[in-house]
Parts: sequence; C-alpha cells; structure tokens
Amino acid sequence: MSGIHFGHNHTPYAPEFRPTAGVCVPFAWLAPEWKLAVMLTLVVVTAVMPLTYWFWHVGAGALLIVLALVGRVALKPLLWRVLWLLPFVAGAALAAAWHGPTGPGWPTVAARGGLCLLIVLIFAAVTPFGALPGVLRRVGVPALLVTTMALMHRYLFVLVDESDRMRRARTCRTFMPRRKFGWRLDAEVIGRLFVRASERAERIYLAMCARGWK
Amino acid sequence: MTPPALAVEKLAYRYPDGTVALREVSFQIAAGECVGLLGPNGSGKSTLLLHLNGILPDKPGASGTVNVQGELITTANLEAIRRQVGLMFQDPDDQLFCATVEEDVAFGPSQLGLAKEVVFERVRQALARMGLTGYERRTPYHLSQGEKRRACLAGVLACEPSILVLDEPTSGLDPRGRREFMALLREVPATKLIATHDLEMVVEMCSRSIILDGGCVVADGPTLDLLDNEELMLAHGLERPHSLHHLRIEEPFFWKPPQQLGK
Amino acid sequence: MHIPDGFIDGKTAAATAALSAVGVGLALRQVRRELPPRKIPLLGLAAAFLFAAQMVNFPVAGGTSGHLLGGVLVAALLGPSAAVVVMTTVLIVQCFLFADGGVLALGANIFNMAILGSMSGYAIYRLVGNYLPGIRGRVTAVAFASWCSVVLASIACAGQLAWSGTVAWSVAFPAMTGVHMLIGLGEGAISALVFYAVAKARPELTTNAPAQPARSFVGYGLLVAIGIALFVAPFACPWPDGLEAVAAKLGFEHVAKESMAAPMTNYVMPGVGSVGVATALAGIVGSLVAFVLAVVLSFLIVRKEPTATKTSASA
Repeated sequence: MSGIHFGHNHTPYAPEFRPTAGVCVPFAWLAPEWKLAVMLTLVVVTAVMPLTYWFWHVGAGALLIVLALVGRVALKPLLWRVLWLLPFVAGAALAAAWHGPTGPGWPTVAARGGLCLLIVLIFAAVTPFGALPGVLRRVGVPALLVTTMALMHRYLFVLVDESDRMRRARTCRTFMPRRKFGWRLDAEVIGRLFVRASERAERIYLAMCARGWK
Repeated sequence: MTPPALAVEKLAYRYPDGTVALREVSFQIAAGECVGLLGPNGSGKSTLLLHLNGILPDKPGASGTVNVQGELITTANLEAIRRQVGLMFQDPDDQLFCATVEEDVAFGPSQLGLAKEVVFERVRQALARMGLTGYERRTPYHLSQGEKRRACLAGVLACEPSILVLDEPTSGLDPRGRREFMALLREVPATKLIATHDLEMVVEMCSRSIILDGGCVVADGPTLDLLDNEELMLAHGLERPHSLHHLRIEEPFFWKPPQQLGK
Repeated sequence: MHIPDGFIDGKTAAATAALSAVGVGLALRQVRRELPPRKIPLLGLAAAFLFAAQMVNFPVAGGTSGHLLGGVLVAALLGPSAAVVVMTTVLIVQCFLFADGGVLALGANIFNMAILGSMSGYAIYRLVGNYLPGIRGRVTAVAFASWCSVVLASIACAGQLAWSGTVAWSVAFPAMTGVHMLIGLGEGAISALVFYAVAKARPELTTNAPAQPARSFVGYGLLVAIGIALFVAPFACPWPDGLEAVAAKLGFEHVAKESMAAPMTNYVMPGVGSVGVATALAGIVGSLVAFVLAVVLSFLIVRKEPTATKTSASA
C-alpha cells in the first residue's frame, strides 16, 4: 500500500516496491520456493562468472528488465534502492582497482555486485514477504529463527509508527530547534521504543497463551 | 444443579513490584448471562480478566480460586480452560500477531490439534460470521480498527469457547464500527463478560453489571439499578449514562420513544 | 559494513557460512535453554525494534549520517545469544528483501556483525562493566564495547575481502579499520544514549544478567578464534618462514602506502619499522582513545548517578 511514510528521515526502505501491495502477486503461478531457488541460482552463477563471459551478464540484465516489466514492479523505488546501494559497490570496486592485476578487477566487481543487487531486489518485489517464513521453514531453517523473522515483519511497521508518533509529539513541544541535542532526544525516543517493544512482547505472549500456545 | 459458568472466590493478586491489583474479589456468572464489568482506570479490570483463563497468577490457587463450569483452574487443566474461555484483548495489535488474517484466525484451532480441514472450515465460518470473507490474505497492519476488532473476535470464536471475556472491545471504534461490533456480539450465544467504559453499550447489552474499584467489587446487580444510581456511579469514577437521563427503559433490549420523566 | 555479492569468492563464502551456521546454531540452543518462554516474542520484537531504530539517521560530522548497528546494545539488554539470533534475523531480512548485503555473503555478514561483533562486544561489556561502578560504568562499558564490536567486525571483513583476493589486505585493512574506528565512535555514542534511556525508563530491563555458562563461551570463543585464524592471522602476522615473504610484504606495503590517501598514513606510526608492531601499537592507542571517550561520554550523559543508585537500593 503506497503512502506508508517512514518519518522525515528519508530512508529508502520501502515495505513493498509494488504500488498495490497485497492485492495481486506477479508470477503467482510460480511457488515461492521456486522463486527463491531461481534467485539463488542466478546470484550464485553471477557471482562466480568471470567477466569474459560477458554475454551472461548482459543476458541476465536483460532478463531482469523483462521480469520487472512483466511483473509490473514500480521502477522508481527500485532505482532509488539501487542508487542507495551503489556507493558500496562503487567503493569496493575502487578498492579492487587498487589491488592490481592479481585481483578480479573493478569492472568485474562492479558488474557482479550490481547485477546481484538487481536480482535480489526484483525477487523481493515479486515475492510477498508472507511467503518467506513458510519457505524457509520447509527448507529447514530452525523454527525459532523463522518465528522471530515473522514477528519482526509483523511488528516492524507498528514500531515505526510508534516512533513516528513519539517524534511528532516531541516536535510539537520543541520551540527552538536544538541541533545539538537532537541526538539525545532521538536516542530517548529509541530507548522508549525498546521499552514499548518489550511491553508489547509480553502482551503478545499472553495473547498467544490465551489461544492455547504451548 | 448446573454449576455457574464462572465462579470467582476471594481472588487476590499482587504485582511483582508490590502493587495490589485485586483484593478478595468474588462473584458468579450463570451460563448465558451477559455481564458488564465497570470501574475506573486502574481498578484491576484487566488483571481480573487475565485470571479467568489461567494466565494469571503464575501459580493458580495461591490466593483465591476461579471455577470455570464447575472446574477449578489449576496448572494441570489450563489447556482445557482456555478452550472454554475465550479472551479478547484490548489492543488488537497484540492479538493479531500472525502475518495474515487467515493465519491468525487459524492459530487457535490449530493449537487445539484439529485436522486441517476442520481448521479451514472453522476459519471460514468465523470470518463469515464477522463479515470478513475475502479478508483472508490481508495483513493486519492494513486493516482499520473496526476490521481488526472483528478479526480478533473471529480468532477467538474460531476456538468455539462457551464463555467470552472481552477487554474494552469498543474503545477507539467509530460509531458505525461500534454498532456493527455490538450487533455481531449480540448474536454470539456464549456467556459474556465485558470490561468496558462504554456505559451505553452496557445499558443496551448487559442485564447485569459488576463495579470494580481499587481491586474490590463495590457493587453487583442489575445494570439499570446500578447505572441509574448517580451517587454510586460518581463515587467510583463513572457517571450515569445519558440514555438513562432522558428515557425510561423497562426492558433493556426494547427502545421506547422518548418520554418525559421526573428523574 | 554489509558485504555485497560478488566480493567474496567461493571458499570464503563457504567458510564463513559454515562458521555462521555453527554460531547461530549454538545461539539458538542457548536461547531455547535459558530464555523463559514469555520472552520468545521479545526476540521478534527486538529484531523489529533494531530494524526500526536503524532507520533513524544520526548526523555524523556534518553532511553525512550514520545509523545504529545495535549488536552490543541488544546483547546488553537481552543477553548475547539472543543478540546473535536477533542480529541474524535482521541481517537475513535485510539481505533477502533489501539486498543490503549479498546472498552469498550472508554467512560472512552474519559472522562479522552478529557473531563476532555481538559476542566480542558483549564480552568486553561484561569485563568493563564489572570493573566500573554504577550506571556510569555500564554506560561506559556499552559505549566502548560497541566501538570495539564495530572495529573488530571491520577487521574480519577486511580479512575476508583479502582472503577472497578482491582487495589486498594492505588496502582493505587500513581502509576498513580506519573508517570504522570513526563509525564506531558514533555507534558507541548512540548505543550508550539508548541504553541509558532504557535504564532511566525501566531499570529492570538493563539489570538482567543471564548467567552465561562458561561452556557456551568456549564454543563462541572457538568460533571467533577460527575466524581470526582464517581471516586475520595470515595477513596480520606474516608466518616466520622465509624472510622474502616478509620483505615482499613490507615492499608491497610501501607501494600501497604511497597510493593511499593522506588520512591512512596516520595509521602506521612513524618511526616504527615493522608493520606488525606498528599496527598493534596503533590499535592499542586507538582503543585507549576510544575508552577515554567512552568514559567522558558517560559523564556527559549520566548526570545524577549517586541519587539513582540510592533510590533503587531503597525501593
């Protein structure tokens, strides 16, 4: 659902890249396990393929563009996300450039990194998160880890909303913008967010018990 | 003689930090009754509700007893008790902890160990009763308050409890959501105990009321007698509901046209 | 410090994946044993909290902004094994959903940040916290331990990049460690502030010290030692077999030094011949400076310490 606002710090974490989240899923005919398998295969092959086989990289790039168009992935958030991550790829590519001839070289690093980035992002855009815990459970990831992940996703937006509300309430009573103490106040909000999170966790445990959780 | 649906006897509770939440609370609720639990904030209503399905105290029977359908709550029969007593929490976000509505409503039945088809059927029925057919795949985050409350109730009803305990079910709802919820609640045939500040709802739905203040039961009787007693209401952080200012209601579930009365 | 895909090669990915799997397995077993059932949802909520907290950007020295990593903070509040589980969850979701950290590099990222960072940070937190009194002491401990965790994680990261042959150790190590020594200051400051905010609001959340049996520490210690042996030792301490190797390294080091930008030359102390000793000295000096800063920070943050301890003692 568009319009989920993550506060005035513009962070590129968007919950879904799709403008109509949760309503229709692209490639719904493909089970999430297969999507995961395809994604992993693409990533592994791209990561180890030397640049001499450039047709692989070009081909993969073209495939990704096609997938994105067919899947009606919202391009702007996707590109923004890529832009956000690009400096890391660029930085390491630069460092690789200094390594000299024994290393893979900066074009390879940049190409591999960028391509793998796109693969994962498009996978994330076409797979609703709700499917992921089930898939991971079937693959054999321990239950505690999967439960933690599911609860994390469930309550992430709730907590972000709470932190937004707290900061908004604080702004209403801040008459002089004190840059110096911005840290302190932000940290207090985060601290109270943790307290609220742990209180909510207690209540969730009670709600689970009330419905017979063992 | 059939045992009462709920029988609380001299229940006391003290929080780990020392605050006394309940002192010698005793009351009984017969099967099929709809009882309102009233009281100011901090009176111990929510704490009392947590005792009714064995969540509190950690060691049942330490101070006071709770009997459900004649059976005493002990550490051994907590599962069976929770099957009979469905508790709906105040904050729907605490209760809707699964990724989708369908999963959440299915949580209770699957914890009961029922077969997949039975669970599926119960989920379908519960959602249909709450008017939420088609909401199966929706995430709780994207629902409105009214829809969340209905999803919570669906999740509790899917376990088919005989006793329904609700903590402030209409708080934060818009008038339409509130009316819809009350209409749905009226159709549930279970014994109901509703902790609420919504006095108008109590007048409309509950034949009997219990007033809790400072951890003690200060009044227990027919709703109209209690709620019409202005002194009693004001003394315990409540007030006489407006519907009783202007109307004389003989039967709580029939509305008569407004009459002038000397009160 | 999330390593993207394509930066580490197969053997590094496999080694780190194996180490991480063992470490996370240990942590899960520990959590299941020591965490009471009512705290199980707290893991998910803590992960959500960390995720949400990482979205708040703090201004760092004009223009740029940094964000909290949070491993040591969560370890101080929930215990080290819980911190490993929580951090792992956050890293997995960041990897699969936001491509923040490569899929193949997931093992490396988990090892660096969740296992090495959190565990070593927690150990330092307990050590320092035991010797310094009161809430000030714990705030100092959190600050310093957070700084250490970031720096240690970056060292391991540099080692993994070097072992993969992507970036030379002589380039990666000073670059990563230098930058992260600065980033670590921010991390330490934020962690300390948040820890103190929690301590003020609900002191009982910060005083739980789950008794960590020595056995599990041995397990983690072993993992960390293997990690160091694989990723750091080969580069930091040239094996004493062959003067040529040492000379080659030193000669190479000179070349690297010349091509590096000015801030990095401060890393190797002038007047000290061997690279190894110079690095060690620089590291020690850096750590001492960070520790002093942590103490200063705690004095700035915690104003009324004596009365706080008195009231908590009388309650």
